[in-house]
Amino acid sequence: MKLRILLADDHEIVRRGLRALLEKHEGWEVCGEASDGREALEKALELKPDVVIVDIGMPSLNGLDTTRQLLQHDPHFKVIVLTITDSDQVIREALDAGARGFVLKSDAARDLVAAVEALQNKRMFFTPRVNDLVLAGFLEKGQTVARNEAPKLPTLTAREREITQLLAEGNSSKEVACLLNLSTKTVETHRSNIMRKLSFHSIRDLVVYAIKNNLIQIEIPPPRTPTGPTAA
Amino acid sequence: MTNSLVGLAQTDGNCMTIRILLVDDHPVVRHGLKTLLEGHSGWEVIGEASDGAEAVEKAKDLNPDVMVLDVTMPKMNGLEACRLLRRQAPHLEILFVTQHDSPQMMREALDAGARGYVVKSNAARDLLAAVEAVSQHRVFTALTGRDATGRC
Repeated sequence: MKLRILLADDHEIVRRGLRALLEKHEGWEVCGEASDGREALEKALELKPDVVIVDIGMPSLNGLDTTRQLLQHDPHFKVIVLTITDSDQVIREALDAGARGFVLKSDAARDLVAAVEALQNKRMFFTPRVNDLVLAGFLEKGQTVARNEAPKLPTLTAREREITQLLAEGNSSKEVACLLNLSTKTVETHRSNIMRKLSFHSIRDLVVYAIKNNLIQIEIPPPRTPTGPTAA
Repeated sequence: MTNSLVGLAQTDGNCMTIRILLVDDHPVVRHGLKTLLEGHSGWEVIGEASDGAEAVEKAKDLNPDVMVLDVTMPKMNGLEACRLLRRQAPHLEILFVTQHDSPQMMREALDAGARGYVVKSNAARDLLAAVEAVSQHRVFTALTGRDATGRC
């Protein structure tokens, strides 16, 4: 029986590349594709793939929250997270979300097949950096909290995180309500709770928070190099 | 979406293969671009590069007709590579395929000497028309039309 894989990435060109890579492997089949987290959730519940590959940076619902919600629905889902960055924070969040694989996009051509094979054999797959972090975590277990550790931020609920992402992406409360099938009043209530919990005063604060916590990802343009004659 | 004609389209009456060099730091993106391009009769992906410096070297060795170029890359970014290539290979047409969905970045790319600019999120839709246009020395630009907040 073929191993069935669901691909979730907002760039069709990336999904094409991933599909071409995976379908070269005998016995594997890409059974569906999704271009955002919400669609990934719907398709995963409908198609019941053996492995779900999710990009972290997707609109509407990011990859980490997609992973959390998938596993809340059914803890048997096996998720590989694809990301452009392997910062400590992203790694911790992916592990906390329940991902069983973590692959850098830049290394996907090299590592993704190995990751899917690992999950197929009921093993986990992480980049070496993740392995180091996991090991460090085991060694620290039982010790007191480090003096340098930043104070913990208030925790947002899953719904609050969803709404934070959608607001940070530029959606109004009404648009968020429409996307999530809620009333505008409910979204406004959540919005007030979020702002109060995080002590924010403006949407700008929310956007900065969303970027720092990988709810949305931004690409930084290259530095401008001066062209033409320089001033004397 | 804008798609403008600049200058005269050149036809030489021969059905020559359009030779394309792909440049992006992510192999999986290059893979996706390649599957899209190689489905088109008369086009051939002759090589790949993963940064701007390698792109310049390979352009010298392989002499492509069109380069599909990312902006953000290590060692040398796409804009720098484009400026260099404009001097070294004036016949080469450069098409940017990038995450940067911004009019300012697009203007910079065209000022650097590119003939085309397409956003990655719409690459599957726009790439073929873009390569077709730039290979005929026509400008092709296509942003999504969303502002920085993601609204249309």
